[in-house]
Amino acid sequence: MADVQYVDAVRRYPGTPAAAVDRLSLDVADGEFMVLVGPSGSGKSTALRMVAGLEDVNSGSIHIGGDDVTLTPPKDRDIAMVFQNYALYPHMSVAENMGFALKLKGVSRSERMAKVREAAAMLDLVPYLERKPKALSGGQRQRVAMGRAIVREPSVFLMDEPLSNLDAKLRVETRANIAALQARLGTTTIYVTHDQVEAMTMGHRVAVLRDGLLQQVDVPRNLYDRPANAFVAGFIGSPSMNLRTATVVPGGAQLAGVTVALDPAVVVAADGLERIILGIRPESFQASTDGSGFPLRVSLVEELGADAFVYGSLPGDEPLTDKPFVVRFDGRTSPRVGDLIHVLLRDGEQHAFHCETGARLG
Amino acid sequence: MTATIRQPGLLQESDAVQDLDADLSQDRAEAESAILSSADWRRPSVRYGLGIAHGVLLAGLIIIGLGPLLWLAKSAVSPTNDTLTSPMSLFPHGFAWNNLHQAWFDVRIGRYFWNTVLLAFGSWLSQIVVATTGGYALSVLRPRYAKLISALLLVTLFVPSVVLLVPLYIEIVHPPLLSHSFVDSYWAVWLPAGASAFNVVLVQRFFDNLPREIFEAARMDGAGGFRMFTSIVLPMSRPILGVVSVFAVLASWKDFLWPLLVLTNPDEQPLSVRLPSIQAQTELGVFLASLFIATLVPIIGFLFFQRSFLRGNGLGGALKG
Repeated sequence: MADVQYVDAVRRYPGTPAAAVDRLSLDVADGEFMVLVGPSGSGKSTALRMVAGLEDVNSGSIHIGGDDVTLTPPKDRDIAMVFQNYALYPHMSVAENMGFALKLKGVSRSERMAKVREAAAMLDLVPYLERKPKALSGGQRQRVAMGRAIVREPSVFLMDEPLSNLDAKLRVETRANIAALQARLGTTTIYVTHDQVEAMTMGHRVAVLRDGLLQQVDVPRNLYDRPANAFVAGFIGSPSMNLRTATVVPGGAQLAGVTVALDPAVVVAADGLERIILGIRPESFQASTDGSGFPLRVSLVEELGADAFVYGSLPGDEPLTDKPFVVRFDGRTSPRVGDLIHVLLRDGEQHAFHCETGARLG
Repeated sequence: MTATIRQPGLLQESDAVQDLDADLSQDRAEAESAILSSADWRRPSVRYGLGIAHGVLLAGLIIIGLGPLLWLAKSAVSPTNDTLTSPMSLFPHGFAWNNLHQAWFDVRIGRYFWNTVLLAFGSWLSQIVVATTGGYALSVLRPRYAKLISALLLVTLFVPSVVLLVPLYIEIVHPPLLSHSFVDSYWAVWLPAGASAFNVVLVQRFFDNLPREIFEAARMDGAGGFRMFTSIVLPMSRPILGVVSVFAVLASWKDFLWPLLVLTNPDEQPLSVRLPSIQAQTELGVFLASLFIATLVPIIGFLFFQRSFLRGNGLGGALKG
């Protein structure tokens, strides 16, 4: 058991101008499940590999359990990693794969077998212990990769997109199982994913990265309710939040001819700005019956059963640059493509961001 | 493949079904891997045209490839007169099994045979050691100057071996740092065999294609450089080790010029050197029996190695699903 700290950690690949991970400072508490999430190229995997010791730290430092491990080789860091492609040893049986680290540590054969069996039972792998990885399905291989990490009883688990090679159904199942397993073992875990649903459902806290910079780290609820900037607002949530530039008017902001009242704190923060970015989640609307609210020309309706996501455009949208405006409807009352509908914003469910820096206002 | 009743466990899925799927898709892939599908074979033009072409090709291959070997086998146990009077007859007039006995003991083919085995084994060992350690250093350990060394290695491939004959011989007669000559010792054959840039490049390219994630996993598991080499890289490299081994053994078995130069004592010479020199004093039947023995062993060896080594099934299941 140990906590993990990044202290101004920088990783710069030779020959590239921008740092892959730029002055990252992040504390992962003992026993915490921390998810690093971001689009590809955001540096999340690099950040994970820095803890693993597979990636050099150009400046700053990494601490595990209070010890500076910046220069410690991977095997002395008391960590275990689950790789995206599992990286099982193809010539070893499942049991040998799982016991390899213990064997190298000089653990006796009987003790090794006991630990492997225990982990295998936990992962439902007992019938497959003598098989080679090639005789296993994708899901089983994924579990062997997990088992290999569990057997070592490390103080930190590192997981690099461990679910990305599974099919959708299995991924949802395994997602819950990994979270349950982590809760049971209580081992500090850093988990990398590009999937914000995984991040929201699994993480105790979630750190959002973009271009090597930490954007926000918070519990999933706060990340969703109070995104620190327009990037996080757009990244977390599916479908993503609608972001539109709105003109500042006294006491509010005007978008597509509709004035949205802003909190006094936001009004103060927006003082002196001509325009702000207004962010509204798809579920923050309700259908309007009297023709008031945002006029929306429907271009696509996604029926999901209970819900329907209605994609359309507001008057004044740039067709090429603005993403479609998304509104969630009840599945049974959804409009049809081509309709002009009106939707009302529920009071106070808007987010406001600085139009240049993207930082949250108020 | 039976469907089992699953205990409620922490992580589970329909394992049996997935296994079955994997098996089926593999069978299907093998069935459809030919250029012509089974539907094509049902067309008469394809069936008769290609059937005849296959038959002719097969017959030609047997006559050209297997014919001389079978003739040698027949002649090895035929009386010399018989071979001289009717060399192309299908069946010998009487067997002379004694030819084989004489070849093995009187001509001392057994002795030369053993010499050849020793030479081949030593050459094989030195080539394998140099190729794998060299490839491992250049591909996996990758020091800063690895690129330079790789380039230099490639350059040596452009030097014809004939050009190297004289300098190499001088090197063997006056080895650096050692006072005595290697001539008439097997080291004179074993050591130069290891200096094969081709093998190193071949193995290095193979190692380059091994997944890096596995090495990283091994590092996380606590494997050092040597352990990674012996426990991870070598076991995953059986296909390429098989290729290098076959090349090494065959080349050493066939090599004539170099052993002739550095092994002057007939008692130490291999078959390739001894066979031409005994030809003059040996009865034809016995000589052919000697040739037969010398040929048979590498063929059997190759068939054996092919089965156990050349099947490229080393990497299945290492990565994803």
